[in-house]
Amino acid sequence: MVEAARRDRDDARARSGAGPASVSWLAWIASGIGLLLFVGSVGILGYEGLFRGDGDPVIVLSVDGVTHDGQRWHARIRAENTGGSAAARARVAGQLLSDGAVVETAEVEFDYIPAGSTQRGGLYFDRDPAAHDLRLRVLGYSDP
Amino acid sequence: MDVTRQRALIHDEEHFARALARAAAGAVIFAFPLLMTMEMWELGFYMDRFRLALFMLVTLPVLFGLSYYSGFEETFCWQDDLIDALTAFGIGFLVSAALLTVFGITMADQPLSEVVGKIALQSVPASIGAMLARKQLGGRDGPDQERRQSSSYAGELFLMMVGALFVGFNVAPTEEMVLIAYKMTPWHTVALAFLSLGLLHVFVYTVGFAGQESRGEDTFRSVFLRFTVAGYGVALLVSFYLLWTFERMGGLSAMELVTSMVVLGFPAALGAATARLIV
Repeated sequence: MVEAARRDRDDARARSGAGPASVSWLAWIASGIGLLLFVGSVGILGYEGLFRGDGDPVIVLSVDGVTHDGQRWHARIRAENTGGSAAARARVAGQLLSDGAVVETAEVEFDYIPAGSTQRGGLYFDRDPAAHDLRLRVLGYSDP
Repeated sequence: MDVTRQRALIHDEEHFARALARAAAGAVIFAFPLLMTMEMWELGFYMDRFRLALFMLVTLPVLFGLSYYSGFEETFCWQDDLIDALTAFGIGFLVSAALLTVFGITMADQPLSEVVGKIALQSVPASIGAMLARKQLGGRDGPDQERRQSSSYAGELFLMMVGALFVGFNVAPTEEMVLIAYKMTPWHTVALAFLSLGLLHVFVYTVGFAGQESRGEDTFRSVFLRFTVAGYGVALLVSFYLLWTFERMGGLSAMELVTSMVVLGFPAALGAATARLIV
């Protein structure tokens, strides 16, 4: 009822008003934002598709720091994918070396390392990584 | 064009603001199952950028068509439909962005491509949800009702396509689609295809749902061929397109591909069948 009354009133206003029927400023703003978001995201995706190619994943590993939690040594690691495509189920091994011989190995698996992103994780050791050479290796990954 | 009525409704900020709120509610309600689906986040960063961009380009005409047939507010000319399509997209995008951020799925330290990909993919179902809000969330049926009822055969197929896309989209990203296909024998596939076809026919043209297509004077055979078989064809094509978009058909043999299409064709056919109820 209220709706109908309002529409009648607006109809009356519109009939008496001069000039072309215009769209509300709110509709212009809302659709303008929509257009911006649409063109922006399609543009970014198209740009990525054109210029970043489908290269292999390149996983760069580094140690963020080592702490002792009272029982074991905990090495925080980060895996950065600088390649052109994502790696799934990427397995990373950390080996402690003493005079060239592996004395301890720890492993972790990253579900996904998207292209250009950095994932973090941790490895646990019984020996102090600072007293040995800590070598990080990517064992393998699968395509998503 | 009835300029007077257009002016009355689109020109009115209060009315449009209410329509916006309703559209945002529709986006949340329709999109949250997918916003909370792990495969969707993962697809957002690893799926092919061109396929994602193409998917979004396809979405805009779908929104435009939906605005014509339904929409979150009444429209009277194609400019209105374009404005509403873009608005629905914007709402879907912003709702997806807000919820993904609240869920901790998108983070500031992620690369732009990953964040945009995740949000862009979710904005497709969210913007369709925004568009369907009017019908679903208690908006009164205005002139569009007549437009829907008198829609052409092409319009019917379009609505079936949207229904198939929308319902199929809800399950297409999951790994279960391909897993089910692996488990099925060719006989299971044939059975599922007939089941889909049968349900499609029963749902729309026999069971007395509100909003159902009236069979009128047409014979069973004519309706079956023109709507049910055509609708199932549309559902299978939509399945094929969704599987391709979500890169679910890489390395599949022709038989497995057909089976996957039939598996995804089941929800897509249900979507096509109920399109008239949702849209």
